[in-house]
Amino acid sequence: MAPMLLGIIPFGMVCGVGAISVGASPLAALAMSMIMFSGAAQIVAVQLLAADAPFGVIVLSCLVVSLRLLMYSAAMATHLRPLDQRWRNVLSYVLTDQAFAGTIQRFRDSDDLSANASYFLGTGVLLWGTWQVATVVGIFVGQIVPASWQLEFVVPLCFIAVLVPLLRDRVSLLVFAVSGIAVVALDAMPLRMSMICAGLLGIAAGMIGDRTMRARG
Amino acid sequence: MDRELTIWLLTFAVGAITYASRLSFIAFFARREMPPLLARALKQVPVAMVTAIVVPAIVFAWPGVLRLDPGNAKLVAALVAGGIAWWRQSATLTIAVGMIVLWSLRYFVG
Repeated sequence: MAPMLLGIIPFGMVCGVGAISVGASPLAALAMSMIMFSGAAQIVAVQLLAADAPFGVIVLSCLVVSLRLLMYSAAMATHLRPLDQRWRNVLSYVLTDQAFAGTIQRFRDSDDLSANASYFLGTGVLLWGTWQVATVVGIFVGQIVPASWQLEFVVPLCFIAVLVPLLRDRVSLLVFAVSGIAVVALDAMPLRMSMICAGLLGIAAGMIGDRTMRARG
Repeated sequence: MDRELTIWLLTFAVGAITYASRLSFIAFFARREMPPLLARALKQVPVAMVTAIVVPAIVFAWPGVLRLDPGNAKLVAALVAGGIAWWRQSATLTIAVGMIVLWSLRYFVG
């Protein structure tokens, strides 16, 4: 649990620094962490605001990166089904990558639903609190560091820290190459549509690559 | 549109999306399975989207100007940071080294 809480701190700080760097007020920057409560969606929103993408394109990009939450929701759904609706609504709010990773094994191993649900809620609330504190620290840092330090570069660096460890097999390298080349090739597209189009091309390439690899065995 | 207002509207719009995604199978489709095609597509989302969003922030010195040479400080800093991320999977170390490289290049090389 503790390593997981520590692990989200740099990302929360980057969300705070990033939001300030694109001109958010401290309150708006904190509201992003409280309401979106998703590092991926927040950082994507910040990077696209920095790139002057239009509103609809930013929302669409955040939608695509948020779709992975469907996987966690689907995996949790069977375990949470006996709970009443109100509880499921509350638990859903704190469902994140880390809360899922930290609790799913417990749900699979034990049938004590109320103990598991409490553990999940506790984990989720701790992660939520840590996320807000890290964001506040980031907001503070973002406000005192002069613009000439180019602290907004922590946002792309944060993406690199997430991306590189994922490039462990041939399919992910293919997706990386297709998305990366496509986004440069499509740069002239209007409304900063190049990023979402390149992302979709990368997803399609990955699905084809995955299927081909599996067909070969 | 005013930047602050845009950010607030984005916060609520994207907040609705993240919450709806979290609720999806837990509340709305509690009795359904995830469609297999969607599951296959979702596996590719992280690498595809992160690459598409990060690459332009690094390879363009300014909008529309591609710079793939060592004179692009952001490119050099990103490559070094990528090496660090590969060697040690630490976000803090990756970000710290990347910023130090960027600052050093700006300071010493100009």
